[in-house]
Amino acid sequence: MLKYFVKKLLMTIPMLLLLSFLVFGALEFSPTDPVSYMVSPDMASNVDMDAMRETLGLNRPFLVRYFDWLGNLLRGEFGYSLVQGVSISKLIGRYLPATFQLAIVVLALSTILAIGLGFLAAVKQNTKIDYICSVLGVVGISIPQFFLGLFLILVFALKLGWLPIGGRSASTFWGMVRNMVLPVMTMTISMTAALMRYTRNSMLDVLNKDYIKTARSKGIPEWKVYIKHAFRNSLTPILTLLCFRLPMLIGGSVVIESLFGWPGIGNLIVTAVSSSDYPLILITTLMTAAVTMFASLLVDLLTAILDPRVRLS
Amino acid sequence: MQNDNILQVKGLRTGFQMGKRHVEVLRGVDFCARRQRTLAIVGESGCGKSVTVHSVLQLLPLHGHILGGEVYYNTPDGNSVRLDQLERYGKEMRAIRGKEIGIIFQDPMASLNPVYTIGAQIMENLLQHEQITKKEARERAIEMLAHLGIPDAAARVNDYPHQFSGGMKQRVMIAIAMVCNPALLIADEPTTALDVTIQAQIMDLMKRLQDEEGKSIVLITHNMGLVAEMANDVAVMYMGQVIESGTVEQIFENPCHPYTRALMQSVPVLGMEPGKRLASISGQTPAPDELDEGCAFAPRCPYVSEQCRKPVEDCEAEAGHTVKCVLKGRLAE
Repeated sequence: MLKYFVKKLLMTIPMLLLLSFLVFGALEFSPTDPVSYMVSPDMASNVDMDAMRETLGLNRPFLVRYFDWLGNLLRGEFGYSLVQGVSISKLIGRYLPATFQLAIVVLALSTILAIGLGFLAAVKQNTKIDYICSVLGVVGISIPQFFLGLFLILVFALKLGWLPIGGRSASTFWGMVRNMVLPVMTMTISMTAALMRYTRNSMLDVLNKDYIKTARSKGIPEWKVYIKHAFRNSLTPILTLLCFRLPMLIGGSVVIESLFGWPGIGNLIVTAVSSSDYPLILITTLMTAAVTMFASLLVDLLTAILDPRVRLS
Repeated sequence: MQNDNILQVKGLRTGFQMGKRHVEVLRGVDFCARRQRTLAIVGESGCGKSVTVHSVLQLLPLHGHILGGEVYYNTPDGNSVRLDQLERYGKEMRAIRGKEIGIIFQDPMASLNPVYTIGAQIMENLLQHEQITKKEARERAIEMLAHLGIPDAAARVNDYPHQFSGGMKQRVMIAIAMVCNPALLIADEPTTALDVTIQAQIMDLMKRLQDEEGKSIVLITHNMGLVAEMANDVAVMYMGQVIESGTVEQIFENPCHPYTRALMQSVPVLGMEPGKRLASISGQTPAPDELDEGCAFAPRCPYVSEQCRKPVEDCEAEAGHTVKCVLKGRLAE
């Protein structure tokens, strides 16, 4: 068991290296030129621009630049943002807390709500509760986040004036909460909807299994049948979906952060892409990718803990 | 005085909700299971055998409902409980499930929860019904497994279902059903999913349980050979009704219902003439919602007459041998 996971863990290293190469290579082939973005071609001569490339090391061969960058990365030097001139670690240190704060609240809220409602809908299948959950689920899934966000801003910020339109204030606790309500609401609604339907279907799937009948034939109370036998077995697919939401903690949400002017990683990525700030793009992409890989590792680990059939093979 | 019948079912009707209407799958089932005897319920697939025992224990799926009839369970100390009137998952019903009546299902591969050890699954039954510690329950589970012929039971209680073979899983299922020492054991096609050699082992095991411990058994099967070997009494079902019942000798030697007779002729017998074709029953089983009030077998019956279109009453062909047929067992040879 331990050996299996050490092996899996070690396998992520070559995968991360490959990924870094791919991201680096993909950016190389993109048609944008960071130098012409930094300095308008009208204002500088070609000679000056070439000189600038020379100082930035952009005219060296591709592989040399890749290994140079990789070497720095392994030494813990993420480099500097081309546009803002600040070290990337500093930028991330500035933007990450905002993203993390939003994501952790949304993840916690949506998970609790979704599993609770999905469980209830499955147990009360074909009753009013189930129908209401189904309708809410479909609505939540089908309305895109940017539209829902705009709608909530219109109602709660512009018409009612209860909540701020956007931004993040960290000065007072109350101010922080007020700023968080709308983005949290928008994300929670759509994320709850998806996981709720997943939980309900997973539960119903298990409730139809023969071993549920066996459990009932022992005369144990229904809540034990639902929780101990049904829910425990429906957890595996639910946890898989949940784990793949973890990268959100690092990567943020581009849509929500732009919409609510939330100073998080999502916003940072948008700025980086629109200004061809390639060192920053590289690092943020790689960070999200690394977390995704660890999420999939976590899925393997949790599945093995939950399901004895996986544990052995 | 202790009632001689452990289980009595009278006029049991069960239906499944299909959209707005109920499709009646059991259309008045009557049978009695005698104490310390084996009653075999036989019939072709879809005749309602499983639904009958599921109705008795109220283990029907959510859209299945008991629509009428009476189910009496007579406890060994002389009480009579009417099972069909208990709340499906209520306390009284649950006190009987597992404790008084144990049930074994058809497919042992799917009937055990894959994420718990078999020890935990056997103990769950014990801990629900008896005031004992986990340690005692564990020992009882090991004892039960050893009793049912699982080698190295003390180590194997910690194994998961996927580490067991099909026959071993069915033994585990029997252990779950038997561990609280129920008076009645219901076996719903316990060997259908197993291969022949394992079938024989499982049936021997059940026979031994009855001989040694005096269990009452209701055995559901469509295997006539198994009936001859195991049963004391037989109830033959067709389209949601018991159409003939009696002792195993009566049913085998003097089948009175045209359906039973056809059923007997369609089974190969050891020593029968080589090259002889087995008889088959012509026509197909009707859909349960197409039936009228008359005999359900009438469209396929070679002896059919005008009388068969009217409701048919049970009548006695000989003592203890009832048949639901207008001919009352006087079939022309």
